[in-house]
Amino acid sequence: MSEFRITLRPALGSVTSIVSENIALTPLPEGHVVHVLGKPGDEALAKRLGSLSDGSAHAVRAAGPGQWFIVGNAAKSHADMTALFEALKPDAYGVDQSQGRVRMLASGPMVERMLAKGTAVDLSLTQFPLGHSTTSVIGHIAAHLTRVADDAFEIMVLRGFAESLWDDLAHMSAEFA
Amino acid sequence: MTSYRLESGGLIDRQSRLSFTFDGKRMLGFAGDSLASALLANGCQLVGRSFKYHRPRGILTAGAAEPNALMTIGQGGRTEPNTRATMQELYQGLEAASQNRWPSLDFDIGSFNSLLSPFLGAGFYYKTFMWPAAFWEKVYEPFIRKAAGLGKASYEKDPDTYEKAWAHCDLLLIGAGPTGLAAALTAGRSGARVILVDEQSMIGGSLLSDTARIGEASATDFVLTAKAELESLSNVTILTRTTAFGWYDGNVFGAVERVQKHVAIPNAKAPVERLWRIVAKQALLATGAEERPLVFGGNDIPGVMMATAMRSYLNRYGVAPGRQVAIFTTNDSGYALALDLEARGIVPVAIVDSRAGGNPAYTGKARIVKGAVVSDAKGGKALSSIVILKDGRTENLKVDALAMSGGFSPVIHLACHRGGKPVWSDAEAAFLAPQQLNGLQIAGAALSTGNGIAACLSEGAAKAAVLVSEMGFACTAASFGAVEGDMSARPEKPLWSVPGVKGKAFVDYQNDVTRKDLGLAVREGYGHVELAKRYTTSGMATDQGKLSNINAIGLLAEARGISPGDVGTTTFRPFYTPVSFGALAGAYHGTHFQPVRKSPLHEWAKKTGAVFVETGLWYRSSWFPRDGESTWRESVDREVLNIRKNAGLCDVSMLGKIEICGKDSAEFLNRVYSNAFLKLPVGKARYGLMLREDGMIYDDGTTSRLSDEHFFMTTTTAYAAGVMNHLEFCAQALWPDLDVRLASSTDQWAQMAIAGPKARTTLEKIVEEDISNAAFPFLAAKEVSLCGGQLHGRLFRISFSGELAFELAVPAGFGESIADALMEAGREHGIQPYGVEALGVLRIEKGHVTHNEINGTVVPGDLGFGKMVSQAKPDFIGKAMVGREGLVSADRPQLVGVLPLDPKTSFRSGSHILAKGAAATLENDQGYITSSAYSPHVGSTIGLALVKSGSTRHGEEVLVWNGLREEFTPARLCNPVFVDQANEKLHV
Repeated sequence: MSEFRITLRPALGSVTSIVSENIALTPLPEGHVVHVLGKPGDEALAKRLGSLSDGSAHAVRAAGPGQWFIVGNAAKSHADMTALFEALKPDAYGVDQSQGRVRMLASGPMVERMLAKGTAVDLSLTQFPLGHSTTSVIGHIAAHLTRVADDAFEIMVLRGFAESLWDDLAHMSAEFA
Repeated sequence: MTSYRLESGGLIDRQSRLSFTFDGKRMLGFAGDSLASALLANGCQLVGRSFKYHRPRGILTAGAAEPNALMTIGQGGRTEPNTRATMQELYQGLEAASQNRWPSLDFDIGSFNSLLSPFLGAGFYYKTFMWPAAFWEKVYEPFIRKAAGLGKASYEKDPDTYEKAWAHCDLLLIGAGPTGLAAALTAGRSGARVILVDEQSMIGGSLLSDTARIGEASATDFVLTAKAELESLSNVTILTRTTAFGWYDGNVFGAVERVQKHVAIPNAKAPVERLWRIVAKQALLATGAEERPLVFGGNDIPGVMMATAMRSYLNRYGVAPGRQVAIFTTNDSGYALALDLEARGIVPVAIVDSRAGGNPAYTGKARIVKGAVVSDAKGGKALSSIVILKDGRTENLKVDALAMSGGFSPVIHLACHRGGKPVWSDAEAAFLAPQQLNGLQIAGAALSTGNGIAACLSEGAAKAAVLVSEMGFACTAASFGAVEGDMSARPEKPLWSVPGVKGKAFVDYQNDVTRKDLGLAVREGYGHVELAKRYTTSGMATDQGKLSNINAIGLLAEARGISPGDVGTTTFRPFYTPVSFGALAGAYHGTHFQPVRKSPLHEWAKKTGAVFVETGLWYRSSWFPRDGESTWRESVDREVLNIRKNAGLCDVSMLGKIEICGKDSAEFLNRVYSNAFLKLPVGKARYGLMLREDGMIYDDGTTSRLSDEHFFMTTTTAYAAGVMNHLEFCAQALWPDLDVRLASSTDQWAQMAIAGPKARTTLEKIVEEDISNAAFPFLAAKEVSLCGGQLHGRLFRISFSGELAFELAVPAGFGESIADALMEAGREHGIQPYGVEALGVLRIEKGHVTHNEINGTVVPGDLGFGKMVSQAKPDFIGKAMVGREGLVSADRPQLVGVLPLDPKTSFRSGSHILAKGAAATLENDQGYITSSAYSPHVGSTIGLALVKSGSTRHGEEVLVWNGLREEFTPARLCNPVFVDQANEKLHV
């Protein structure tokens, strides 16, 4: 047994969630994010990915042609992650991004208005329905957006930008909070 | 002092009194007033001084085109110069100040300029300030700048916030007058997503100032009913106080919303201005038409006003312009005003109609003078009389207010922002928008100035119905009943040159450009519309000639004997009206100017005492000062020596990291790098050089093979994104037949360099696997188990310092914990953290290159990497060009080391190399120092340099020349590796 205890420092461990009637912003657990590198147009793979997720709603998100993210709130052990990579083969390769991407949840009646301050994507429900994902920029920071409820979006960002994006989102939410 | 508030009427709230000041004088207005209407209601008609001649100026319009009533609003950081009083809503405590006058608005010494006006005509500057040339920058320009200018910006920090936002819609309606309202109701009822923008605080546009009845309701009641319905529709967004200022590619419209410019103390949580980018499937321009001034003598005297503006003050704000009002018109607009005045008990003293026929439908009491003009207005700071010229005879008439209407010009600016040119129409006597605009249609008075309310309503509804129907919405055009009292100002022959003028007849009010100036421009060869603009300054300044351009074009046309269509217009560009820098910057200033990118070891470095430096967006640890160290050099020297003696830990998480997967990954890398990668064994790392197609080095780094089909590439920090893009381009465009998948994993890994003789013994305490030299030799790479299997990471036996060294990558969130463990494990071995400064010293000592040397002009051979250009591979990027004659010549700049002859002396990066004894001239330049540092190992400054034929000149004495500081340092060229030239340390 090692003399050292290894602990996780969450990227957004020091922020305070925003909770209000109109807008809410909260970090999500640093569970698992698996970047699936498939081939563009591989419909069979796309259908198969659901069975490799933890089964939660919208766990598989499109991330570009032939690419997806499989996300979940629970961290995966090294063995489980390796097994998932093996299960993806030979159609796809998996890359562990569980620590490289940080997720946060923005929700509330004003969430579209708030996010419209940063992204050029049309987030109206008809154009961006439940489960829909896209990569965009929010202000100056690239982020991956997924609609997880009529009034809620999950935002995934590179870890290094997580605090900066949080600050921006908090600023953008201020008038609604 | 003759304008006044009427006893009743207007859309103002007479129960809500607002106190404000103008030039320190306290006045009262009502909620719903503009600053302009409140000033007029207080009898204040002199509101500013003109730009050049400092002439007294009054309020000319009631809208965005106002050229005269520019004021400074607010105090301190909220000071906003050049605010149009016609667009500024009144609020309690508003502080307004006039501009461009000294010592006071009433007594302005600058008005002396008016006496010099014979010498200050068009082109005055160009003709007068030609000599002596040296005077221009030192005397003339400072003097002109001091004398000129409108308001003054504050140097204080703006305490308010601004933001940008995007909006999307099926149909964007620009202008909420009758056309826009009818279109909004039609499209809104169909379920289409509609955005309705209007620059005023209320929707309604011209209806707010009109006395017509629509379907038996007053125009204002019609607006209120429409407003209620539109607000009930969730698919309709109304943006008031919002000016659409530009039309851009992709049918994106720029608009600025004055969110809190109408309140005394803005809510700090909300912006004062919001810049919208509106993406519209279709847009309808319903911006109406702008009334044209008439160019007669004294047409700028306070009391002279546009006829529609006078209607607006009368009907919307309950303000009478004066007691003895005359109207000078070329069309029916003047008669509608006359009727409104009479309804308020003010019978115009005369309607001077330039047409012989006049308006036969007029039944009011005013005296009508047909076939006549107002040739001059008289007065100083207020209008006192006018001169009517009819059939060669003049008549002086005492008046205190004069309305003028020279016809109307459609407001088509946005329609011309994407390259389209306005088209002159003789029938409309106006410039119209170009035809067949993609994504933008025109309706209402913006299409034809003859459209009255009824025509605007029906056309707005019809066009909206067609547009949304084409998008698939079931839609029928809304209908609104009969319009009673409609005023249709049908186009009439323009009156460009008013005969008999004696006084100054202003074309451009903001720039004091007169009719004579334009004539002079034509006579002196500047008759082209673009030249005339610049020669006379007509159409410049904050209003960009909204009122003046059309008259200037008409006068140029007359002077040149051609049609206004042949004169053409100057180019219409965004912005339609001025947009503040605050709105353009949005939230992105101060701490939000650019994102901060933090390493996963940022907090570890912070608690360890790092001094940070910004490198791109990253915050990197520069050095870690200790007690007793007073300079950064002391800290860096200590860190460097400790690494050579014991061990150090450096955060290198910022290096770009790319996962390369796929059956053809090895072949892919073999083509990307100039050196061989096809047969790199699993478990090994290799240094690679990536060339551009032109043969120059693009980037370098190590790539490790983790499995047959999985490689892990590291790039330089600066080129991380660029290399990723480059690889994607290669994979997608150059070799789509290869099975390669790419993912950036830069942020996934916290990566630490552990360097120094004690690096292995330190690492062995946390790495489970055997990492002895035999089991894990130089350039080994593999996944390892850490701390009893609590975590897995990637370990690489690579060295940037020249010492025994490893790089350990662990999942980012555990980086701090692992760094703590390593520091604890290495404590007994003297491990210390080190920063990028020490990293730099170590790599220069070892002769390792960075982008200081890989400067975009070097090929591998220049840096001593000639053997890394594979001769065996059939192809790789750069192969075709790297062998060019010029890239292999012996006199190319080549990497060398540089040592000062006297160790006590030093030199700086960027200094140039001269042959010993050569004069310090550019012609004698032999190359330059690319990197330099003080080396505690060598005991002096050392440098790397790119020097002509450098590799063959080791031992040669040279002179290092810093031409900026006039420093000369005798030095010697040498081997660029200052430490362990045999590379023995790497293999222990």
